[in-house]
Amino acid sequence: MPYTPKPTLDFSKLHASLAGKARSSERYLRKHHPQAVALLESAGVQPGKIREHAAKLLTSGALAGTLMLGAPIVGKALPATGAQFASLTVTQLRQTLAGQLQTILPQTVAPLTKEQEDNISKLMKDTWGINAKAELDGNRLNQSYGYIGAEQHLPRFPGDSLDQHDEYLQEGITPGLGAWGYFAPSKNQLTEDLIQKEKYYVAVQTLYLPDWERRLPYLRDWYKYRKVLVVNPANGKTIIADVADSGPANWTGKHFGGSPEVMAFLGLNVGPQKGAVLLSFVDDPENQIPLGPVEYNVQRGPLLVATK
Amino acid sequence: MAKIFYDHLIIIEEIIAQLDQHDLDPKKRQELIALVDQTLHHHILDVILTHLPQYHHETFLTRFHQAPHDIGLLTFLKEHTDRDIEKEILKKANSVKKNIFSEIKKARKEK
Repeated sequence: MPYTPKPTLDFSKLHASLAGKARSSERYLRKHHPQAVALLESAGVQPGKIREHAAKLLTSGALAGTLMLGAPIVGKALPATGAQFASLTVTQLRQTLAGQLQTILPQTVAPLTKEQEDNISKLMKDTWGINAKAELDGNRLNQSYGYIGAEQHLPRFPGDSLDQHDEYLQEGITPGLGAWGYFAPSKNQLTEDLIQKEKYYVAVQTLYLPDWERRLPYLRDWYKYRKVLVVNPANGKTIIADVADSGPANWTGKHFGGSPEVMAFLGLNVGPQKGAVLLSFVDDPENQIPLGPVEYNVQRGPLLVATK
Repeated sequence: MAKIFYDHLIIIEEIIAQLDQHDLDPKKRQELIALVDQTLHHHILDVILTHLPQYHHETFLTRFHQAPHDIGLLTFLKEHTDRDIEKEILKKANSVKKNIFSEIKKARKEK
């Protein structure tokens, strides 16, 4: 049988096109899931090179314990006044935070003192590396510690319906609009950023601010999609949300409202759909902290964990 | 080659077989396979993270990082997504592979 040589490939051409595809798929993944990519990278894994990582695991045989994903995140924790280093998973970090908050917060939900607010602000900085303050730019809510209740989804654009929201559909959608109206003028103009803003929104009682009506144009702009940090002190779960609605009314006995996603993450979408939370403004002028659960943010900050 | 839990769905070997029909230096062949592999991982991770609710991401990524081969990850995804995740992975892998086959075809040198 005569020998038939194999066809050849234009290697440079193919290499260039495949490299381009690898780069663009990576860019897409980073844009679409920045927190997840950051989480993997904080553990030393490039998403596209997971197979290399798997090979290393096989050769090292070090599958257990030492390569916990949580370890690289919190393993960077700096010592407190002593020489101890924290080595905590995100879950342990939350538990530590909840324990420390119990020593600061009053036994019943009530307005906090300046000292309590400052201590909490420092604790958030130390734990998550996030600057969160009860007062920012001279603005503050009437309460930074109060009850949050479950809210429904908000209509994001004219014609938006419940079935176009991806999760927690049983919570329903409000018949009216959020405090700032529609998030986008049309479905086509609904960006990923605006989807996140509705997903992780809170309602705050701007209506009870003493200067709300007098300074309406300024305050409305200041509060619109203002980034806030919300913590459930019972479990330490912390989430970054944005202000997209006003309320609830005082007679409800609640001080804040949370989107279905916010309430679910905080563990408050059960029973009475209500619970005590801390809510403070996030000082993030460069808009570097993404909305959503805070475990994704920990690698962004200095992550100082005060251990005893 | 170390295994990833979704390998049986993406079947990268189909592309390797296509490349192997050509006369390729082993080192260059490996470079091309690495690029294809990276592209597939990016796309498949995107599919997974898109369909998996965000509050399960940390658990999934932790387990994925610890044991990328663990088939239990697929069970986890099936339990926590409301789509047929195997079908979604398969669909994306097929679409990416089709695209890559086309690139290979374009790079073929006619004799």
